[in-house]
Amino acid sequence: MTHIMVVDDDQDLAEMLGIVLTGAGFEVDLVNSGDQVGAIFQAHKPDLVLLDVMLPGMSGIEVAKEIRKTSMVPIVMLTAKGDTQDVVLGLEAGADDYMIKPFNPSELVARIKVRLRRSTAGESTTLRIGDVLIDQVAHTIASRGKSIPLTRLEFDLLVALAKEPGRVFTREALLDEVWGYQNATDTRLVNVHIQRLRAKIEIDVDNPTIILTVRGVGYKAGTSSE
Amino acid sequence: MLNSRWQRSILFRVIVSTVAFTFVFIALIGTLLFTQISNGIYREKTNASVSEAESLADYDQGQLYATQYLAHLKIDTVVAQILRPSTPSINTAPREVVLLGSLVGLSKNDTYNGSSNKLDTSSIPASFRKLVQRSSKTHWLRTDVKYTNGTTQPAIIVGTEITIPPASPYELYYVFLLNEQTTIMGFIERLLWITGLFSIIVIGLLSWYVTRQAVTPLRDAAEIAEELSAGDLHRRMDVKGSDEMARLAISFNEMALSMQQQISRLENLSRLQQRFVSDVSHELRTPLTTIRMASGVISAGAHKLDAAGQRSAELLASQIARFESLLTDLLEVSRFDASASILESKEINIGDLIKQTIDHLQPGDNTKIDLHFPGEIVVAEVDPRRIERILRNLIANAIDHCEGKPIDITLVATDREVAVSVRDYGIGFSERETNRLFDRFWRADPSRSRIRGGTGLGLSISLDDAKLHQGTLKAWGRPGQGAHFVLTVPKVPGIPIETEPISVDPNHGESTSFLSFDEDDI
Repeated sequence: MTHIMVVDDDQDLAEMLGIVLTGAGFEVDLVNSGDQVGAIFQAHKPDLVLLDVMLPGMSGIEVAKEIRKTSMVPIVMLTAKGDTQDVVLGLEAGADDYMIKPFNPSELVARIKVRLRRSTAGESTTLRIGDVLIDQVAHTIASRGKSIPLTRLEFDLLVALAKEPGRVFTREALLDEVWGYQNATDTRLVNVHIQRLRAKIEIDVDNPTIILTVRGVGYKAGTSSE
Repeated sequence: MLNSRWQRSILFRVIVSTVAFTFVFIALIGTLLFTQISNGIYREKTNASVSEAESLADYDQGQLYATQYLAHLKIDTVVAQILRPSTPSINTAPREVVLLGSLVGLSKNDTYNGSSNKLDTSSIPASFRKLVQRSSKTHWLRTDVKYTNGTTQPAIIVGTEITIPPASPYELYYVFLLNEQTTIMGFIERLLWITGLFSIIVIGLLSWYVTRQAVTPLRDAAEIAEELSAGDLHRRMDVKGSDEMARLAISFNEMALSMQQQISRLENLSRLQQRFVSDVSHELRTPLTTIRMASGVISAGAHKLDAAGQRSAELLASQIARFESLLTDLLEVSRFDASASILESKEINIGDLIKQTIDHLQPGDNTKIDLHFPGEIVVAEVDPRRIERILRNLIANAIDHCEGKPIDITLVATDREVAVSVRDYGIGFSERETNRLFDRFWRADPSRSRIRGGTGLGLSISLDDAKLHQGTLKAWGRPGQGAHFVLTVPKVPGIPIETEPISVDPNHGESTSFLSFDEDDI
């Protein structure tokens, strides 16, 4: 059974989220403060964390950073302010996606499912992007013989680019493909995660060779240097 | 340029007028002074010259008569003595002598004509000679005399008749040179000029200095007032001493301070107000999320409820949606009020955007919408979210109020601007209502059904969106004739619109009249 940890100080909302997610077939752990996250996370090993950004005590952003230290689990943030710096900070702290209150419950479930989706193996089991080898079956990547841990979202993002090496992806296309958004225009999600991904796989982040920026359009896969 | 300076600068005006008046005054005084001194000096010299000439002439006449009785005294010797020039000394001014034979009848007697020091005898004017010839008294004249070598000298000529024995009438002229007097007068003239010019300069400088004392604080005050009105509320005048200028500075600063306090108080209030609206909107979101999810759960199990319960679940869901759009609009409004809205422009096809918007609105089959698009594709760099929101508002309004009659949507583009008009022929609104149409929460007819559950903020937000694009949104309406809304935005952000290609008055036809963009409207 898929395990979801809900971190929210608003007990009513947390309970309601529990009802909805349980109804959708998930097993739910409710946590009311950021300080308890560490212990419960270690004990239950959830498959996904639903995290309210505005928490008393330890903020959602700190919680996300704390989780990312040890785990690549998908994190979806809940926020009341979609247009503030909070969102970018949360994404930079390691959150994969965010939902703005008040959200549609069915959309929340759909989004959670996208994040839990295991990208099934395509035609080829091994992809290459720049000097990075992607093993789609083992769900791992390696650069110059060294294995690099990625979150599932980062993995999906890299696979999306690697699958079609010649194509230039607009940010909107990536939002559709990787996040499952339709007609979305919030490019912050893409920008932040491309930066995080580059920080992990590029040798020189300022002169990327694996994920190239196409000015004014979007991104495309770099060619192998070999 | 000078004229504008005259108008603009008190300092300039004061200096110019002071210098001009001083110049006229000094010129008058100088002329008067010069004339008086010169008259005095020459009168003195004339008197002395006349009396000296008379005594000399008496002596000369005596000598000439004596030649008749004294054998050793020859006329030639006496004449030579007469014509001998004076020896210049400290006490006596240089003088020349001219002896000319008077014309009597036709006989010429010019035997003894002569002059001292090569003085040109024609220097004695003929009219003066006649005067001397006609009377037996001495006469004098001030004039310039010539020497045969060409030099001229100012002089006083004193003339008298003299008889050379036996009976030849001659005129004897003593020419007193005025070198000394001319030198003195020249010196005085120079002195007057120097004094005059010096006085003008001193008075000019003085007036500049004095006026500046008064004008500088005024000028400072004007500059600081300009900076204050430009928004730099921290500017203050320097207070020096305790004179009238210091009092001006003190009261000026007091005024500025109270203005600053007033403005910052108002700013604070308005910031607090905006903050409050924003906070309220955000705080309402968490419970609204819970309510919405609860409503979703209830709706999902609605089939287990009775008819009243099912209808209640429906109403709950629709009212939550309405509440949510109200919150969203309220937040948008507070963003506009806080000037926190940002234009996120990109190039889009406006025609496609209009079609998409209509599709989203899903008008019923009995609503006919006619599109009037130009042949070529219209692309503009705009914020798609905002333009879509404006179009959605306008088209939804038209659908709600068209009363089954067709709706016309027209798209027109020029080099600089893009215009979209939405025209319906439904119930319309009065001219008076046009002015209030864009007010927040204003509804044309409170009893009218809210078909689409609008928030009452739609048109107000649309107007703000249009202004954010530096464009315009105008409305026209007549009861029973329908309504006409025209949105005009620049094709490229930052390049203001010049014309409105579609006139908002549908009876006016196509308008291309120039329209200046009003900055205050932004």
